[in-house]
Amino acid sequence: MFTRYLREIKRALTGAPDTPLVLVCNFEAEAQWARGHVGLPAPPANAARPLVAAMEELGVLLAGPDDTLVLSRPPDPGYQDYLTEQGLALPTVLVPENCQPGRSTTRNALDSPVLLDQLRRLGGDGAHLLPMGTTSDEEELARRCGILLAGPGAQVVERVNSKVYGRRLTDAAGLRPVPGACCETRQELTDVLARYQGRLESGQPLVVKDAYGVSGKGLLVLDNPTRAAQLLRMVDRRAARTGDDRMQVVVEEWLPKRCDLNYQITIGRDGRAALDFVKQALTAQGVHQGHLMPADLSAEQYRQIEHAAAQVAARLHADGYHGVVGVDAIVGADETLYPVLEINARLNMSTYQGAITELCQPPGTVALARHYPLRLAAPLEFAAVRRVLDGVRAGWPATRVLVTCFATVNANALVPVGAGGPPEPFDGRLYALLIAPDRDRLAELDGAVRAAVTTLSLPEESHD
Amino acid sequence: MERNEIVKNIQGALTEVLMRDFGPLPESTRLFEDMHLDSTAILELLMALEDNIGIEVDPEKLDMDDFRTIGTLTDFLERTPKVTS
Repeated sequence: MFTRYLREIKRALTGAPDTPLVLVCNFEAEAQWARGHVGLPAPPANAARPLVAAMEELGVLLAGPDDTLVLSRPPDPGYQDYLTEQGLALPTVLVPENCQPGRSTTRNALDSPVLLDQLRRLGGDGAHLLPMGTTSDEEELARRCGILLAGPGAQVVERVNSKVYGRRLTDAAGLRPVPGACCETRQELTDVLARYQGRLESGQPLVVKDAYGVSGKGLLVLDNPTRAAQLLRMVDRRAARTGDDRMQVVVEEWLPKRCDLNYQITIGRDGRAALDFVKQALTAQGVHQGHLMPADLSAEQYRQIEHAAAQVAARLHADGYHGVVGVDAIVGADETLYPVLEINARLNMSTYQGAITELCQPPGTVALARHYPLRLAAPLEFAAVRRVLDGVRAGWPATRVLVTCFATVNANALVPVGAGGPPEPFDGRLYALLIAPDRDRLAELDGAVRAAVTTLSLPEESHD
Repeated sequence: MERNEIVKNIQGALTEVLMRDFGPLPESTRLFEDMHLDSTAILELLMALEDNIGIEVDPEKLDMDDFRTIGTLTDFLERTPKVTS
């Protein structure tokens, strides 16, 4: 797609609006940055997260026809045809010839000489590499292919993605912080929780966040002094076991809120920054569910976001960062805006929707980007999804429903299950963008899509 | 503590952590696939179980196979020494 949105991102990151890009949508970047940083006590991570890895397909929505998207699994042909029929001009998709289950696409690429040669040619023709978030793996890919990174190196990116960094930037910029503190040792956490003892005793919750928590995870809500004491005991035992009491977490007051926000800034190599959009983020128990656009904000709240965006951009640029940044914010129950809850100096879910909303969301309409859960006994064909959504569309004039990621529907079916016996049911997610003339009709359309998608799922079990 | 009491404690802890009343759950219930527990929920589950059955567990030292189902978690808790407060 030759959208204004994509051209502006290219201009900011590469200096020209028509620079060809090679996209790697490494949604596992956050988990990689987290390695080597001690946060909340946590069980050993599950190795393979196929559903998260499959979200790399979202890259087809952002990349233009002169760009290249590297995917470990090509999009379903039926889904590709569907996207073309919706008016999208798709990028070239390259698949590494040596893909292994559970290995990231960048790692697959690094192990695929034929693909590396193709990327070298693209690099020679002036393409830039745009990862979702730059880690040492993408840096190595760029180096081995002689292709320029569209953003800064991994060290800078990792540093500015820490929640400790984000809180300190917010303080230094004079922006209104969520009340709380940064902790970099066990003792600091002990002291901070002691200061909050009275708050905990009165039942007002705190949240402890890993500095490098993966989206929606690594958040522990403490709503009484017993839980705080238990956490400290676990942290003490760990420090005694490892002989190292360093840890990086932030502790914040859990504020009553009207809504969550997500806004995107694109910071150019030259430091010029643009506020791309502000969306209302839908969350459930701290886990991201989707976005509503436009966000319901007063003119003054919007002005405060513009101010915060400029401040965040200036400081990130001064610290060596340029590129796309997603910032989470909240509007309190009393309408106070807290403009920086978290800084994600990487592409975000909503980054990938920017082009499609420019193409498909007419001015004056409202849109909802979200996913619908599925419970399946066997992989689902795209045609089946299309059939049920066509049924919805027939009953809802002046609305639109677009599937924005299909690979996540069947991703978990690729996990090997125990030999013998029937395969176990698996969970999938269908990502979609819904557009309607107003919020009431959008909510009704959402209900209709959810009901339609449910017909594709196994019957819900009593416990779920 | 009897096995069925441990299972009831796990059910109670799941209700507390996930803020949903599931009613009786079979031991074959899978904690990740069926109950959608993540690493933070495991941490919260351990904290709730610490309260109720007097154990002390360090999350980093867990074998995640023990957290496959309610049954395997019950096996693990039966093996875990109780701490006296």
